Amino acid sequence: MFRLQGSKVLAVEMTGDAVKAKNGSMVAYDGQMSFKKLTGGGDGLRGMVTRRLTGEQMAVMEVKGNGTCWFADRATEINLVRLQGEKLYVESGNLLVTDAALRTGTTFTGLRGASQGNGLFTTTVEGHGQAAIMSDGPAVALRVSPRHPLTVDPGAYVAHQGNVRQSFQSGVTFRTFLGEGGGEAFQIRFEGDGLVYVQPSERNTIAGDL
Amino acid sequence: MTFREINSKMVEATVLPGQRLFSQRGAMLAYKGDVSFTPNLQGGQGGVMSMLGRRVTGEATPLMTVEGSGTVFFGHGGHHVHVIHLTGDTLYVEADRLLAFEGTLRQGTMFMGSQGGVMGLVRGQATGQGLFTTTLQGRGAVAVMAHGGVFELPVGPDRPVHVDPQAYVAHHGDVRNRLSAALGWREMVGRGSGEAFQLELSGSGTVYVQASEEKL
Repeated sequence: MFRLQGSKVLAVEMTGDAVKAKNGSMVAYDGQMSFKKLTGGGDGLRGMVTRRLTGEQMAVMEVKGNGTCWFADRATEINLVRLQGEKLYVESGNLLVTDAALRTGTTFTGLRGASQGNGLFTTTVEGHGQAAIMSDGPAVALRVSPRHPLTVDPGAYVAHQGNVRQSFQSGVTFRTFLGEGGGEAFQIRFEGDGLVYVQPSERNTIAGDL
Repeated sequence: MTFREINSKMVEATVLPGQRLFSQRGAMLAYKGDVSFTPNLQGGQGGVMSMLGRRVTGEATPLMTVEGSGTVFFGHGGHHVHVIHLTGDTLYVEADRLLAFEGTLRQGTMFMGSQGGVMGLVRGQATGQGLFTTTLQGRGAVAVMAHGGVFELPVGPDRPVHVDPQAYVAHHGDVRNRLSAALGWREMVGRGSGEAFQLELSGSGTVYVQASEEKL
């Protein structure tokens, strides 16, 4: 059971089951717990190879035991996501804790990844269960429906879930080349049906500088 | 009530004539009324011997005495501030986490080795807290700083709590602490889970944990 304690601490109650968590993110626990690092971000040997190749390396540990375990990471805000069979796309650095029942993998994101400044690949989480994602400041979940597409700043994008297509939009005009751009040269456009998580802060991206 | 939390990062303290407050030097943000701030050469209470004690042990934080009548606002470095009320028991806290405390509290330093022997020494070294820690005893309020907010965990005789040494802020009550190491072959080959050292707190009392692994 995942439970938020405030907005920056996640309490997970465990009765003999296990969760996957970012390495070193435990701040306290009671009862009996064991911590074991998983190779390849929890995907075994195959994950080790693909994550090495794609640069989506994540250090994940398996936490198992009886009791309550509290997780937090550098005082960043934590958001709970419940998955019922759909896929969550999230940057590996923003993933804090996932249920052991959820499968993680990597996927190609194309130009979007490059514009966000975190590589061409992203992490996927799939299955039934809960996941906790981190954001710089409290994140908002924005709904995307067929009639209402959504456009997001690449630097503020955190994660998305559901059946969503994404395309890359450029607002580069002659002004950009003159150094008079508005700082919003690139955007990601989401179409389809799903949720997009956006944080109230922007990572440093190429797009933000133009 | 001496300290009042204005927001998560700022406290308001009421100063009355004849009542002293101690605060970290430079932590005053604003004040109203007739209040004087005197740098405290001794770094706290207890005279010259205590001063020497603190100097030697590295638990000397520059403190100032706040006297007069009025209200003072304290905050430091954008850190979250948490007010702890003591009713006769002892609070164990790192000196650099102390923002302000009432003059009614007795300040002292404690040798880590006196709790847990050799492991206590190792604990201080491993957690970067040093071999000594500051104690505050008596009745009164303390404002401590933490990165990212604090949550309290009760410690009971049948409910020991394990805390990441970097996330540990303070504790009070009749609590024994011990560094427990879960070192295995994985740590030796550099594939550890990042949770090799934990503080095990047992007894009865409260431990304060911050939502971050960053030291101040």
